[in-house]
Amino acid sequence: MTAPLLDINTWVGAWPFRQLRDGSVSGLLKRMDKHGIERAVVGSLTGVLYRNVQPANDELAKQTRRHTDRLVPFALMNPLDPSWDDDLKRCQDLGFKGLRLVPQYHEYKLTDPAALDLIDEGADLGWCVQVPQRIEDRRTRHPWDVARDIAPAEFVEAIKSRPKVGWMLLNALGLNGSRFPAKARYVVDISRMTSVLQRNMQSFLDDAGPDRLAFGTGMNWSMPEPTLLKLELLDRPKKVKDGIAWRNAAKLLKLP
Amino acid sequence: MRRIDCHMHVRGADVNWGWDHNDRIIEAADALGIDQLAVSIPVMRGMPEYATIRRCNDDVIAAMKQYPDRLLGYCYIVPGHSESQDEISRCFDAGMIGIKLYNQYKICDPVVYPVLERAIEEAAPVLEHAGRPTTRDFHDQQPNISDASHFVEAATRYPECMLIEAHIGGGGDWEWSIKQLRKAPSVYLDTSGSIIDDGMVEMCVRELGADRILFATDMTMEGGVGKILGAELTQAQQEKIFWRNFQSMLDRRKGASS
Repeated sequence: MTAPLLDINTWVGAWPFRQLRDGSVSGLLKRMDKHGIERAVVGSLTGVLYRNVQPANDELAKQTRRHTDRLVPFALMNPLDPSWDDDLKRCQDLGFKGLRLVPQYHEYKLTDPAALDLIDEGADLGWCVQVPQRIEDRRTRHPWDVARDIAPAEFVEAIKSRPKVGWMLLNALGLNGSRFPAKARYVVDISRMTSVLQRNMQSFLDDAGPDRLAFGTGMNWSMPEPTLLKLELLDRPKKVKDGIAWRNAAKLLKLP
Repeated sequence: MRRIDCHMHVRGADVNWGWDHNDRIIEAADALGIDQLAVSIPVMRGMPEYATIRRCNDDVIAAMKQYPDRLLGYCYIVPGHSESQDEISRCFDAGMIGIKLYNQYKICDPVVYPVLERAIEEAAPVLEHAGRPTTRDFHDQQPNISDASHFVEAATRYPECMLIEAHIGGGGDWEWSIKQLRKAPSVYLDTSGSIIDDGMVEMCVRELGADRILFATDMTMEGGVGKILGAELTQAQQEKIFWRNFQSMLDRRKGASS
């Protein structure tokens, strides 16, 4: 039995190219209950393709404000938006706790000066930064969705340049744990990794250290059961599994 | 409940799938409650020589001998080689249960017809790599990949053939593929692949019926099991998908060969 579960990778909302089942906050909470997931970091999927992302943040704030004991809303931000600084202040007032960035959809690199300015401003608020390596698998994408997968080297460079920021990498695979700075503050979610056969969770733990992975399912895009299974089957001490289930991400999020 | 993985691979013939020894497959299967796995070693790029194909099959046969209760073998062939029919005979004599085709030819290409006719004669399933590319890159990498419309064409010509379209979760636009397969009621669809999109398995069952859906991992072990356990299915549907449907196919072969 592992510790309570903190899911750092959930979404609510809709996607233009595929009908997702029940993208509502109540639907997410129901699924969390079903699987014993106590808390979740959540972002707006709908806003990913908005030119102006702030209405999606406003909507998410409205939907989550009665569930702050369960949900930790992260604000979608675009550093190329001319008034992101105003949006950031507004999101702070609305109770957001972190940034969720999608550089592949907003066409910048994490190490671009504009992105680093936004990340720095967020860090000044004590916010973590989440970045999905991809949202949709490149094999299934709609022809109009030409967003790149973020290269492992881009993550490494970004984290090297801002090692004190709390980073959370989502939907990531192919990262080499030994390339990340040892003292940086980051976790990678396990949604695309494995604990049997290829055992890349174990490889990452060996290379990066026991506190670098975190539980993340990708709901409501993905099914949560595979991620629950890989945590259950991980052949590492309970302390390590508890860290993945809750502690490693909770520490970055300053949750109890 | 039994679980038979109808689409898996073993390490061998210089193909390294990302694990150090085939014992890891059995360990993973044990952890996930998978009783048997039907395995192959296909050549994924280019048009291999017969010697290479034979080596792939030799290593599958060796793995079957190492785990006789756990591994079932598919005979990988490239249609058009003059040795193909003899290779099928050799592999079936060694206990293989089906034929594996990859992306060298589309399933409806006339060069594949003799293979499908042989599969009918042997009452053996044919598992073919498949996908509906959504991008030019994906298509250019595998110009001869079969999509569901090619299965429809092959199944129209050979409705008695037990065709399995591979990995709905690893072959591009799964919604298009499922809808296309409505037109070919004799074609089975396996659930493997690393895509674990919510609602995918339910759509397979809704559109095609649980009798045509086969559990598989294609090396995505936790994902393969998790997507069936997590799908909104009845116990009877889950049972069909996890093992009954594939077992029925194996029983047809046994009946034909006894």
